[in-house]
Amino acid sequence: MIVMNPMEKFKAKITLFHCINAFTEHVSLSTDDREVKIVKMPCSGMTTEVFMLKAFEAGADAVAILVCPEGACRYMEGNMRARKRVEKTSNVLDKIGVGGKRLSIHNLAAKNSDSVPGLLDEIMSTIKELGKNPAAAA
Amino acid sequence: MIVGEQKPIEEIKKMVAPYKKLLILGCGTCVKTCFAGGEDETAALASALRMAFRTEGVSIEIDEQTVERQCENEFIQEAAKKIGENDAVLSLACGAGVQAMARRFPKEPVYPGLNTTFIGVQESHGVFTEECSGCGNCELGNFGGICPVTRCSKKLLNGPCGGSQKGICEVDANTECAWQLIIDRLKTLGQLNNLRTYIPPKNWKTSNSGGPRKLVREDHII
Amino acid sequence: MTTQAISNLHSVLSSGTFAVTGECGPPRGADMNVLNKKGELLRGWVDAVNVTDNQTAIVRMSSIAASKHLLDMGLEPVMQMVCRDRNRIAIQSDILGAYSLGIRNILCLSGDHQSFGSQPDAMNVFDIDSMNLIRTVKDMRDEGKDMSGFDLKEAPKMFIGAAANPFADPFEYRVLRLAKKIDAGVDFIQTQCIYNMERFREWIRLAREEGLTEKAYIMGGVTPIKTVGMAKYMKNKVAGMDIPDEIINRVAGVPKEKQTEEGLKICQETIEELKEMDGVHGVHVMAIEWEEKVADIVKGAGLRK
Repeated sequence: MIVMNPMEKFKAKITLFHCINAFTEHVSLSTDDREVKIVKMPCSGMTTEVFMLKAFEAGADAVAILVCPEGACRYMEGNMRARKRVEKTSNVLDKIGVGGKRLSIHNLAAKNSDSVPGLLDEIMSTIKELGKNPAAAA
Repeated sequence: MIVGEQKPIEEIKKMVAPYKKLLILGCGTCVKTCFAGGEDETAALASALRMAFRTEGVSIEIDEQTVERQCENEFIQEAAKKIGENDAVLSLACGAGVQAMARRFPKEPVYPGLNTTFIGVQESHGVFTEECSGCGNCELGNFGGICPVTRCSKKLLNGPCGGSQKGICEVDANTECAWQLIIDRLKTLGQLNNLRTYIPPKNWKTSNSGGPRKLVREDHII
Repeated sequence: MTTQAISNLHSVLSSGTFAVTGECGPPRGADMNVLNKKGELLRGWVDAVNVTDNQTAIVRMSSIAASKHLLDMGLEPVMQMVCRDRNRIAIQSDILGAYSLGIRNILCLSGDHQSFGSQPDAMNVFDIDSMNLIRTVKDMRDEGKDMSGFDLKEAPKMFIGAAANPFADPFEYRVLRLAKKIDAGVDFIQTQCIYNMERFREWIRLAREEGLTEKAYIMGGVTPIKTVGMAKYMKNKVAGMDIPDEIINRVAGVPKEKQTEEGLKICQETIEELKEMDGVHGVHVMAIEWEEKVADIVKGAGLRK
């Protein structure tokens, strides 16, 4: 077991999957203490388990999925499917010692991009609590 | 289709732990349709396993490939190269696929990544139900197209037991009483008289009870 | 129905006397004293005693052995046999063995599913169903042949019973199923516990219309309610049990210490009604683990003195 020191200073890596209908990037989300990678999806429903896992495998300390408000998916149920997949994948992450809390899903109020930096701050505090992704390639 | 379910990752980890180079081999037919062993599931499992070992500081190389069907030699053949490069294979096929692999590559250790659950259908998205036991002597014609051998918890051939209530089987609240379904369907077909016919004890010789089965098609053998 | 009396139960039923059977669950252990005790409580009050076969899929002393113990006490057993635990080879072998021990009544059942029992991991058998079992016992008796067609050296002559549940669904099929069992060779029927008298009346009426009550003896099943809690449990948890709210309310309507008495009263009233009902030939009293009450029930209903 690799023991991580949660207090160790590092630049957090966050991968953000988002539905193109849910969110428009208008500010840079990366800051001094976090590097945010953005993956645009035609619909959040296409964010399958393997994409989320691969993001972690590639070194993300946290992965977040930004989806349209409930009932407002252009493809009817894409955001609901995304939520179910997040639940399942988060379970897998717990089992493999990465930590399911690192994966989160957020319904954004109608294209409310302004709320995203706040969300990222919340995610940052989760990362601070859990430390670096223990499964990140050395 | 043959329905399968991925084994718990802890169990898989234990099986493959002795190896340094592992091939996860998916199967692109039945178990792909039931979201257990197609390309997506193969890739997700490979990624999860790599991370699982990495968090423990164990080094293992995990490769992946998916073939159309692991139960047919001509498709299995496509995996020969990668099988040669790895120490063991974790097959995400049904039990037949795993064994076909083991037969084709007698010197390669092959492990099952799935539990093969049953022959069934996808009743609605994500819900699979068992429909056929492969008993080798189909009598669906007597029962309005609903199989009591498979779908009645007691394999009753002559009508429902006393535990059928409001269309539900006494054994499980989520299971429909096969006999209620049979009766409803016969009613629709105007064949309710079928119910009066005494069905004699089933001949299980054609089922697995008669020992492992083999089907020989002379017209296809040269 | 055969003409010569095969068993005491057969002769009571064929004489036109309203017959009474009781029930005795074998112990979860090898102690036959438990059976002696239960047997003594039933002696003189019933014409025969059903001996259950690993009921609710819980391992108990075998119904054949327990039946033999009762026989040795001078009581007549109705050996229950389920299809859950034996294939056809074991079933026929057990019937031959039971007959050789002096057992003359058999009740043919599918059997409670093992998932209800103490060993849900067990594999079930269900090689044949209860309908096939009835036919098998009949062919052994009347044709003197086993299922392979082999001529048996001595045919086991059993008085053949089966269960019927007038309260299960689909209702319209229940009489047809009874007819099918009678065609298969049943001599007597014991029904599921009757609480819903209205539905039972309708079922027996339909059976009469089909002439079925002339072809087999029908014994109505009763179980006294001990407490309102038990009644609710049976209503909600026991498969195939139909207890109308009026019955539950009636028991709930009396003070707690009087509930048992009320339950027994309902049971006696049910028997009294069955006694007068056309096409009903007897009653099967299932006072499970409450055998000491059978005497009161039978006396109270004026069946035996």
